[in-house]
Amino acid sequence: MSAVAAKPTAGGAMNPTAMAVGVVMLIVILGACWYVSPTLGLTALIGIIIGGVLIGFGTHFVPVGGAPAAMGQAPGIATGVAMLAAGAGLAGLFGGAWAAEQGMVIAVVTGGIGGGMMMAITCMMVNFVYVFGMGIPAASGKVLNDPITGDSQAEYKSQGTEGHGLPFVSFVGGVIGGILGGAGGTLIYLELLSLYEATFPTLMSATTAQIMPVAVAVAGMFAVAMFLVNAVLTAYNITGTIEGPHDPKFKRWPRAIVASAVASALCGFVAILIVAM
Amino acid sequence: MEQIVFGIGITALTGALATVAGSAEDTESNIGSQGDPNSQVQLAPQMGFLHRIFNKAVAGEPPAYGLWCALGAGLAWAFMAMQINAILAIVLGCVLAVFVQGVYATTAYLGRTASLAKFGQPVYVDIIKSMTTVTMAHAFIAIFCTVALCQLINGALGHPFPLPLLALIWGIALGAAGSATGNPYYGKERQYQNQKFGAGVPISASGNIVRYAEAGERNSIDNGFFTHKIGGSASGLCFGLIVFLELWRTILFERIYAGWGAIAVGVLIILIFTVIDRYIEVWARKNYGPYTAVKEAEA
Repeated sequence: MSAVAAKPTAGGAMNPTAMAVGVVMLIVILGACWYVSPTLGLTALIGIIIGGVLIGFGTHFVPVGGAPAAMGQAPGIATGVAMLAAGAGLAGLFGGAWAAEQGMVIAVVTGGIGGGMMMAITCMMVNFVYVFGMGIPAASGKVLNDPITGDSQAEYKSQGTEGHGLPFVSFVGGVIGGILGGAGGTLIYLELLSLYEATFPTLMSATTAQIMPVAVAVAGMFAVAMFLVNAVLTAYNITGTIEGPHDPKFKRWPRAIVASAVASALCGFVAILIVAM
Repeated sequence: MEQIVFGIGITALTGALATVAGSAEDTESNIGSQGDPNSQVQLAPQMGFLHRIFNKAVAGEPPAYGLWCALGAGLAWAFMAMQINAILAIVLGCVLAVFVQGVYATTAYLGRTASLAKFGQPVYVDIIKSMTTVTMAHAFIAIFCTVALCQLINGALGHPFPLPLLALIWGIALGAAGSATGNPYYGKERQYQNQKFGAGVPISASGNIVRYAEAGERNSIDNGFFTHKIGGSASGLCFGLIVFLELWRTILFERIYAGWGAIAVGVLIILIFTVIDRYIEVWARKNYGPYTAVKEAEA
């Protein structure tokens, strides 16, 4: 098919065959994990997959405008999707890891709130610079009215641009994205940490206190790596830029869920194999 | 009680370090044209606008600063393991990390500019000589402050992550905050200073960046000087608030209701920033007004 003949919306089309293949791969990896580590490993892998899916889904909410946003040519935050999501999610992971001793629920929620706080501060500062530094009001290029506030958008777009800044719906999307990303990253970390805490003492013939620094470091490294895997996958799904939950590209999230689940399962399986084999 | 007071003191110090780091990071990236506005520096010669702007997009700012901060922290950690004083170890680690940044900056400028040879863009040796050291100096401040705050978080506040991992996380967050806040100011307000104030750059003007200064051709040190006043300060404020408030809510409130206290305060902080953001948005709409008349049919 030539570029001219290609459908303009082809990037957003769902491919049922690819989705089915993804689900089969997921089941195969889960089966392999059950074979090598039927209790601890499988439980950890399921947690890792849920965490990865949260990150993949959450990244869709983050309003990212890329290079055009840096010139006030398009709405969103002027940086990369994966980078901003990683910045917010890892800030959440930092808080979640600190709260790990207080139990899984507290740690995951703390991680989520940490990511949400990072995004709330960043999004507010973005609008602060646009309004007070550059004299430009926020305007969406994808909707006529803000879905939350009802504010009209079209007449606030300057000539020759697709909009600029962060309308309120994009701000809310950013905070939701940060919360989901921070919670997902923390969940992956906690699952791996509990697995390594249980297996490292036997593997290394040492006490739990002795293996803790190694377990924390390895679990943390894997959590950061899996965060980046899921954030980059989602960046491909939304082809670089997105305004937030009101953007038509947001509807592509189902295939990112499948892709994130498969990628997280595969990466998580490798992380489990280092103690299960 | 003493522990909480000590924690608040450390929190204040980390917040101050983060503010300086954010400001230096944004200025460094603007002098080097590392953020998203680099697309215009790369595009300009292709549109016939030759320039003397430094062009060193090594990578996006978050992964670049993740690498440099983790490198500085890893080396500092190794020096500390060799029983070298912590402050000296951090300085030495950051100096070595900055040399890596300088190598990346030089090769990035040469590689990216050489790729524009077919459009007649020259490689200026004097730019490498004068700009690279300035970006390295700013990068040192940003990396040193980030590694130092990570050392405080790890050593004084007792975060479980090892120093290099903390520096990787906060390095990525530093790049994310700095590029998100500082990029628009450099991209729109400085590179397109010849466009109307109070409006985005029309897409048709892409590549036509300002290339001349009051005397002679504009260089990247001028850009750093200009953007530091608002873009750099805002980036510093952004990263400083992120680090300070995250630590502050944890240190003061994590013991309340078994951890739920810190969560409740976090939610409250998010709500406060939501209200401030909405106020800024409405203020701009009221004071600046629409660019065109409101269309009733669309509304």
